[in-house]
Amino acid sequence: MSAIATLGISNNAAPLGLRVGIALIAVLALLCLIGPWLPLADPNAQDLLRTLAAPSLAHPLGTDHLGRSILSRTVHGAPRSLGIAVICVAIATSVGLLLGLVAAAGNRWTDGLIMRLADLVLAFPGLLLALLLAGLMGGGIIPMMIGIKLTLWPQFARMARATARVTLQEAHVEAARLAGLSQLHILRHHLLPPVLRQTISLATLGVGAAILSISSLGFLGLGLQPPTPEWGAMISELLPYVAEAPVQMAAPCLMIVTSVLGFTLLGEGLTAQLVGSDT
Amino acid sequence: MQRDEIRSNMTLSPLIRIIAVRLAQALATAWVLATLCFAFVHALPGDAALRIAAARVGEDRLTQEITDRIRREEGLDRPLIVQYAHWIGRLAQGDLGNSLVTRKPVLSELAYHARFTLGLGLAGWLLSYLIALPLGLSAGLRPGGAVDRTSQGVAVLLASTPSFLIGILLISLFALSLRWLPPAGYRTGWHMLLPALTLALGLAAYSVRVIRNAVVDVRSAFFMTFAQIRGLDPATAFRRHGVRSAAIPIVTFMALQMGYVIDGFVVIETLFNYPGLGDLLIKSLLARDVPMIMGTGIIIGLMFALANLLADLACLWLDPRQRLQGAT
Repeated sequence: MSAIATLGISNNAAPLGLRVGIALIAVLALLCLIGPWLPLADPNAQDLLRTLAAPSLAHPLGTDHLGRSILSRTVHGAPRSLGIAVICVAIATSVGLLLGLVAAAGNRWTDGLIMRLADLVLAFPGLLLALLLAGLMGGGIIPMMIGIKLTLWPQFARMARATARVTLQEAHVEAARLAGLSQLHILRHHLLPPVLRQTISLATLGVGAAILSISSLGFLGLGLQPPTPEWGAMISELLPYVAEAPVQMAAPCLMIVTSVLGFTLLGEGLTAQLVGSDT
Repeated sequence: MQRDEIRSNMTLSPLIRIIAVRLAQALATAWVLATLCFAFVHALPGDAALRIAAARVGEDRLTQEITDRIRREEGLDRPLIVQYAHWIGRLAQGDLGNSLVTRKPVLSELAYHARFTLGLGLAGWLLSYLIALPLGLSAGLRPGGAVDRTSQGVAVLLASTPSFLIGILLISLFALSLRWLPPAGYRTGWHMLLPALTLALGLAAYSVRVIRNAVVDVRSAFFMTFAQIRGLDPATAFRRHGVRSAAIPIVTFMALQMGYVIDGFVVIETLFNYPGLGDLLIKSLLARDVPMIMGTGIIIGLMFALANLLADLACLWLDPRQRLQGAT
């Protein structure tokens, strides 16, 4: 939490970063949407006569150790990595916000229970919990998504609770309550706006972190299983041939860095803008 | 008398609170891991005794006799709740059992691999501050300058790069192209340099900015202006009054970075085939060696709690305001 906050509050180059971030994500989103319909080779079609082939017209980025088209695999990997990351963050955000708001509004026991649960998850360093879940359940998409969501929700719950508690003390909430407005009205018009403002940048940074986690799990062999074209798994498959096939290796690498960079720049740009507008 | 009491309150109570919190953290991780592993062993479809037997003697030499013996030995014929109590009880006594694959005690395997990870973690962490401190300081002392802008740009790029990619780039450059360093494995101290550098670059990508921001904040603080009004030149003022204040957010951040260190070494050790705990964890996960998975997970959780404890203590020592909080 505070690490992200510290990272967000900085530099004068924010507007530029924000624009670059939006541009990168727009291109990636387009790739996700139209990529699967482009006239590309089947990402899983093997051609054992043309393994580790150099870039050619048929395979503009060359082929991997099984003769599969790298371009096709990289393009088909986009909706997987990015889609899973966005879904994980969306679910983790909703669950986190809900629990955080319940904790802020509830009595001491609900508050304590929810926050201790968050502490319990945060007691695990980084990916460890996701790694164990994915590993014990044998890899694949569902254990990985459960693991990533599980590690992401506490920061949203903590943020929502902290923001809500501060907001509930403010004069305009008191005024609304005295004016006889309903709980729902206070929630929608007084509580949610500041909470959501904080959420947007945190969630954007969260998508970048989730992409890193997905590719790391894929690289370790505990994420999406082969032959699914996933960037991290592609890199781990190509690793023994890195000296012979640098171009093939570079494609998924660049995709990971570009997408994480896009979400990081957007998230930080948003934080800078929102922090600026608050003060 | 009264004064002594106040003093002991001031120094003791936050200390005890910090230790209690981190102890609870360590116990909680151990309990969750143990429960998770227990649930896994018993939730899988099929006969647990058969699986353990298969892992121990191999599928082809499996007999009903061996399976029955293991069922009795491991208490798999008793009610689930009794088995769970037994499982946790054994853990509480420090008995982590034997590896299903190598049959050696988990504890001795952990002791062997832990020193490689500790060495790598420590080397990577020190190296990261060797890189980040000079860069962060010079960037923070001249915000907006050339060092500041370059280091921030590189830092954002590095922070967006997964650690295995940094590692692959370093291997390609230093081991495959220049042939200066060995690419993987562990025989000499030189084998540690590339993994440590990989870890360090990933860590420095974040800490450079934290150090820079801490320096910028401190330089614009009132007490720094006051020190200069009093007649200290800027350099002396920063050394005497600035360094300690700037150190507080930096040290707090070091603890937060432990999460990254642990993600980092799991991935980096696998990439470099380095015989540490991360490599052990991934190999046990792929082999479904449950006692080993639990042991490795618990030891990593303990290391995380211990690192957090050290960071808390360092902050307490650096920041007198935190010491006073406990007295009120």
